Amino acid sequence: MSLNLSAEPQAADVVAHTAIPAIETVGLRKVYGRTAVLHDLTLAVAPGEVFGFLGPNGAGKTTTVKILMGLVRPTGGEARIFGQPTGDREARRRVGYLPENFRFHDWMTGAKLLDFHGRLAGLSAQERRARIPDVIRRVGLAGRGDARIRTYSKGMTQRIGLAQAIFHSPDLVLLDEPTSALDPVGRREVRDLIRSLRDDGITVFLNSHLLSEVEMVCDRVAIIDRGRVVRSGPLGELLSGVSELRVMVDRVDDELLSALSHVADVAAVEEIGSEPGSAQRAPGTAQGATVTLAVTDLEIAPLVAETVMRRGYQLFGLVPVHRTLEELFMDLIEDGER
Amino acid sequence: MNTLTIARFTIQEAISRRLILAGAVLSLAFLGLFALGFGLIYHNDSELSGPLSDTQAQAMFGTVMSVLGLYAINFLAGFLALFLSVGAISSEIESGALHAVLARPLRRAEFVVGRWLAYAGLIGVYVGLMAGSLLLAARLISGYATPDPVRATLLMMLAAIVLLTVSLFGSTVMSTLANGVVVFSLFGLAWLAGIIELIGGALSNEAMLNIGTAVSLLIPSDAIWRGASFYVLSPLYLAGASASHEGIPFVGHSPPATAMVVWGLLYPLVVLGVATVTFSRRDL
Repeated sequence: MSLNLSAEPQAADVVAHTAIPAIETVGLRKVYGRTAVLHDLTLAVAPGEVFGFLGPNGAGKTTTVKILMGLVRPTGGEARIFGQPTGDREARRRVGYLPENFRFHDWMTGAKLLDFHGRLAGLSAQERRARIPDVIRRVGLAGRGDARIRTYSKGMTQRIGLAQAIFHSPDLVLLDEPTSALDPVGRREVRDLIRSLRDDGITVFLNSHLLSEVEMVCDRVAIIDRGRVVRSGPLGELLSGVSELRVMVDRVDDELLSALSHVADVAAVEEIGSEPGSAQRAPGTAQGATVTLAVTDLEIAPLVAETVMRRGYQLFGLVPVHRTLEELFMDLIEDGER
Repeated sequence: MNTLTIARFTIQEAISRRLILAGAVLSLAFLGLFALGFGLIYHNDSELSGPLSDTQAQAMFGTVMSVLGLYAINFLAGFLALFLSVGAISSEIESGALHAVLARPLRRAEFVVGRWLAYAGLIGVYVGLMAGSLLLAARLISGYATPDPVRATLLMMLAAIVLLTVSLFGSTVMSTLANGVVVFSLFGLAWLAGIIELIGGALSNEAMLNIGTAVSLLIPSDAIWRGASFYVLSPLYLAGASASHEGIPFVGHSPPATAMVVWGLLYPLVVLGVATVTFSRRDL
């Protein structure tokens, strides 16, 4: 399957908005010893959007998040949060962070953990007291706030991690694999939480392996591989720009495939309703088939129909298939490996 | 402000993990045993004192028992300092619990200093209560009044805080296991250097004295202890030890050098400063 995907971040994505980006990295590099983890990573996240940050294991996602949180120092380039360097205390005051491994001080109760983080974030005692029950309820831990974290299940620990990330009403929330320990109900609740954060104007930077979830909640995504952004942009644009067209015909043979290949790339051929060894089946033909064409837009559909019907084949259907984020992701990563 | 928040958090952790409860119970057991042993020996002193007068016997037993008791407390305080701080930073990094904390508007130096303040406070209280109780028990049982209990206690606190600071620094740059190996080795090294220096003094061996001094500069905990112990020794005991060129090993028979005390005071500040800088530059 041939895809026309740019490996460079588009300039429009880098400076997508005129407002100060919630997150901006320019030429970010990180080298551990002789191993370069990030190469020239450039991306921008606009205020108020839900941004998906995707990549295979070892692509540099967590390193990027750690640089943004000031936990790791970049070797080169710049990273800014709301226009301030990542180590800036005022910038960090506006950020909530759920780390990938979500380990917390398990001798504390959930409520005490929130109180501690709220204190560090600069909330007054009154604000902390008022917010604790509300946030605990919001993440689905009502009634468990006074239990020690060591008694929590993995999913509950992840929920209290989410609670500490949003407790001080940040303007930006960085979530590193926020649903990895949750069951389907919990995942849905987290998706709802992310949507409600967006509704409140909060920027969400979501690092997740669960592509279907990213697809459900993110406005824009960046896919990185080997420390570089290989694709970024609005999700709808990325997925609508590349599609497949399934051509359902009564039969397929070399003549039809040759004709269709002049119109678009033939990605796959699936024969339907033909028994292997059937006496009625001529060599190289099948009774009923689906030919999948890789197309860049759907304006080609009338031409495909005409190509099929002019040669005397019966056309049963033309079905446009939009690509999933997972397909896009796999194609980009596989292209990178070649 | 953040420093105090971290210090408070650290003390809450010690309470929650029942470190303070366990320490209090064991300390009471230690003090009870000391008082019992001291009382039994003191009331049998007629057999042990030989030709000494009552006053001499009182000073001798008072000195020996007090200094041995404080020596044990010095060891306990040293172990407490090392156990508290050996993973104070590194274990938090290893577990990942520190990531969410340091993502807050908090300087890493504030985290290190907050931890240090809490532990130094706990150790100070521990040494103060233990040494004070022990010296009080000695006085109640035998009537022996330590010449300068305040200076002795303060220097013992300083010795433990030196160890605490070294261990906390190690915790910012090494894994908990590696730091444990290093700081317990240093603890032993300081003790051994004290012995070498003591023997060197008795033998007037310059090389041995220099080794002791060099190690004391590297880690002055044992030298500070010896300074502390001097303030526990009665003048009668010191006069006898001076005349006979004999005395209790592991204690100082002369007042601590001012330069050593100054170094002992500066040492935690310098090491703590280095710890904050190295930790601030470290990738987590």
